[in-house]
Amino acid sequence: MKIIGDKQIKIDTALAKEIAERSGENVFLCYQCKKCASGCPSREFMTSTPTQLMRYVQLGMIDEAMKQNTIWYCLSCETCSTRCPQDIDIAHVVDTIRIMVQEKKIKADTKNSRLFNWLWMTILRYMGRMYEIGLTGALNLFTGKPFKDMSLGMKMIKKGKLKLFPSFKKPLETKKMFDRAKRLSK
Amino acid sequence: MKIAYYPGCSLHSTGVEYDISTRKVCDVLGIELTEVKDWICCGSSPAHQCDELMSVALPAKNLALVAQTGDFKEVCAPCASCYSRLKGAQYKLADENLKKDVEQVIGTKYPEDITVLHMLDVIAKKIGVEAIEEKVQRSLGGMKIASYYGCLMTRPPKITGKDSYENPTDMDSVLEVLGAEPVDWNLKTFCCGASFALTQTDVVLELTKKILADAEASGAEAISVGCPLCHANLDGRQQQINEKFNTDFNIPIFYFTELMGLAFGIGAKELGVFKHLTEVEDFLKERALL
Ligand code: SF4
Ligand code: SF4
Repeated sequence: MKIIGDKQIKIDTALAKEIAERSGENVFLCYQCKKCASGCPSREFMTSTPTQLMRYVQLGMIDEAMKQNTIWYCLSCETCSTRCPQDIDIAHVVDTIRIMVQEKKIKADTKNSRLFNWLWMTILRYMGRMYEIGLTGALNLFTGKPFKDMSLGMKMIKKGKLKLFPSFKKPLETKKMFDRAKRLSK
Repeated sequence: MKIAYYPGCSLHSTGVEYDISTRKVCDVLGIELTEVKDWICCGSSPAHQCDELMSVALPAKNLALVAQTGDFKEVCAPCASCYSRLKGAQYKLADENLKKDVEQVIGTKYPEDITVLHMLDVIAKKIGVEAIEEKVQRSLGGMKIASYYGCLMTRPPKITGKDSYENPTDMDSVLEVLGAEPVDWNLKTFCCGASFALTQTDVVLELTKKILADAEASGAEAISVGCPLCHANLDGRQQQINEKFNTDFNIPIFYFTELMGLAFGIGAKELGVFKHLTEVEDFLKERALL
């Protein structure tokens, strides 16, 4: 008979625990039925399926869970969370991992999402409402594709679908909200 | 009927015709919309992808602004994403600890007694198809339409409270009394990729192409939507899709409120339908709806 020590069969649950604390979701309820993977519209783009992602988290496989593109291809369409027979809010688990990657400044294949989120929240912080031209322009500039969607944008401006200038709605108010939230989460 | 109205950022920009047609249609139906005073962005996808607390605080702030706007117990949002963020925040705010934090962030009390509705809920559920039918002046003449609900109008049901989320039918029922013929199709609630519109456009083109192709294969002449983000993808990216995949889609994408307005006899121009990027002029002319 082979002798297996305790250490060899130990699972690192730190990742699952942190996710549970942050989101209230228990990944250990997942029994790998693959319902989430089958219905995921973004599955064809992901390195791993949402089902595999759940397993990675169960096993504490940090690199696979946090550094692959899987979470960054999630569209937040909520199909998985709607259908999971174990009532796991998978989309919320994905969001939680994304937040952890951003907070901990982990290097990962984020598909420009980190930049996009930061730009969006910065505009909100100072303007209160979205300013689409500013957002797109800054994103294209930072990603080195200054002319992306240019002709689409011009058409939209012609049709009066894009504001040329931002509208400031209670800018101080939103900035205060962001500041208070930052203080609270410290 | 009086109700608070939260247009959201898109209805002041890319989805301006949705705002225009919604207001016109509500006028006809006797719904008095009061825009929430000084509303701010709901945070949309980026907020829940990067900051859990703010993703709840931003919608909560807007709900507080609803209460400050007047004595409103209901607020409606035409954008599926805004609707989902407002509803989702309410769901999470049942947690007392989170509520305490959020109240501290927004600097005011969070009002618990406000019901959040999507514009389609107001039209289909609160007004009802009988009252809509009474206002129809010109029938849509059997126009074959695929009603597209997308993701967040119905999902996840524990947040939206919707009972038919895999095969919703509210929009179909409305279109039917307008004289249209809703088609049976597969991708009613499939995702168009909205949250990736700017960052991963390739994904959006792929998903949107599937939706257009399925609608067309099911015999639809047009698609009806209830979300400015879905509209921006389905309407605005058709040309890019055609270029990328060598297809020749030319499917008019209407907001359901525009179709209602047309059937109520309101002029196409007044409803803002010429703001679409996929032209609808010939389509409407052929059907005597101009
Ligand atoms: S649907 Fe739920 S139980 Fe099934 S594999 Fe996905 S997460 Fe696991
Ligand atoms: S929410 Fe994300 S993981 Fe779940 S089905 Fe949609 S795209 Fe896939």
